[in-house]
Amino acid sequence: MTVVLMAMILALLIPIYEAWQEDDIWQTMLAFASIATKTSVMILVVSVLRDDWMIGVVGAIILSVGNAALMLLAHIIKRMGEL
Amino acid sequence: MDSYIYIITALLPLTAGMVVLQVNPYHALIMRGILGAVAAMLYAVLGAADVALTEALVGTMLAITLYAVAVRSSLVMRLGVLQEEGMELGSNSFVEGKSKDHVQQLTNALRTLLAKHYMRLELACYPNPKALHQALLAKEVHATCAQPSQRITKESYENKQSTSLERYPYQTQIRVHRLYEILQTELSSLGTTLIDVDAVDAKDSTEGNP
Amino acid sequence: MIDALSYTCMGVGIIFWFWGTLPLLGPRSVLFKLHSLSVADTLGSMLIVIGLLLKIPREWPLLILAILSLSIWNTVLGYVLAYCSNTEEH
Repeated sequence: MTVVLMAMILALLIPIYEAWQEDDIWQTMLAFASIATKTSVMILVVSVLRDDWMIGVVGAIILSVGNAALMLLAHIIKRMGEL
Repeated sequence: MDSYIYIITALLPLTAGMVVLQVNPYHALIMRGILGAVAAMLYAVLGAADVALTEALVGTMLAITLYAVAVRSSLVMRLGVLQEEGMELGSNSFVEGKSKDHVQQLTNALRTLLAKHYMRLELACYPNPKALHQALLAKEVHATCAQPSQRITKESYENKQSTSLERYPYQTQIRVHRLYEILQTELSSLGTTLIDVDAVDAKDSTEGNP
Repeated sequence: MIDALSYTCMGVGIIFWFWGTLPLLGPRSVLFKLHSLSVADTLGSMLIVIGLLLKIPREWPLLILAILSLSIWNTVLGYVLAYCSNTEEH
């Protein structure tokens, strides 16, 4: 299980690096979307690893609500590009 | 403690450093979102479920949205122009007048210059030169652009600028000193004369002119 | 038996993650990256959550909710991002 988590951290580092060196704002947004999904799935994995119901609930809430922020941000950035 | 906790903890200063070192404000906003997601994961892994939930909802969602609105409305330069010139900018019908051509050129140059500093240019139209000047004094716009013959010119300044007036028919008055400094460095590409209104007003008051 | 199945699910899910994320590094267009990311990432995440579900069936309502929100949100988000990044170019 720890090996699984290590591989997930490795997969998480790829979009972080991408967001660091990318200039185009939409590619950064893609990296952010990828990171948001990955972190919440990792929270779920940790909750199962520890058999902790409370962390699992938080992970599910972050997974379902956190993406709304992304869509808001995407629309605001689109409006910025228009003007 | 398991070893993966240390690695996840190391991600937090990494992303925080990315936020601090980012110069583009919009990219920094997205970096802040990444930092929020990583921080929420770290808090959940360390066992603080309530803190993680608050970080995800308030720190990521609310703060990012508010910051985005704030950055978008503050990084803008409002340029006041006269009505007929402003109308010409929106439409594609390019009249063969030299003045319209000039305003178009000037706004394009301003846009590319401001884009280097991650700012936008917003045009505000006013019906006559008097309203334009009033708007500048009332701080509705950051700068105005018009032909100097149309505006209330000060005699003491006409002498000094008579040489440059022949080269550039348009004159830009800027209220914000920092903007004036930024634009002054690239003055040659703009094709206009720049006047720092703050300095003008200060000098007027010392001279005793209304 | 079920343990092996759940580990297989998670392993395949992580392979999907890498598959979907590695194109991000290349010099391709936004839409290409969005496609690989939304398809492979969502499938990988769902496989991982299914693996967790096989491991602990006791927490099924939570994990089912996670799978549902994953699939729905990532689809919607893919559309929104594609729409926004497309109109920006014109």
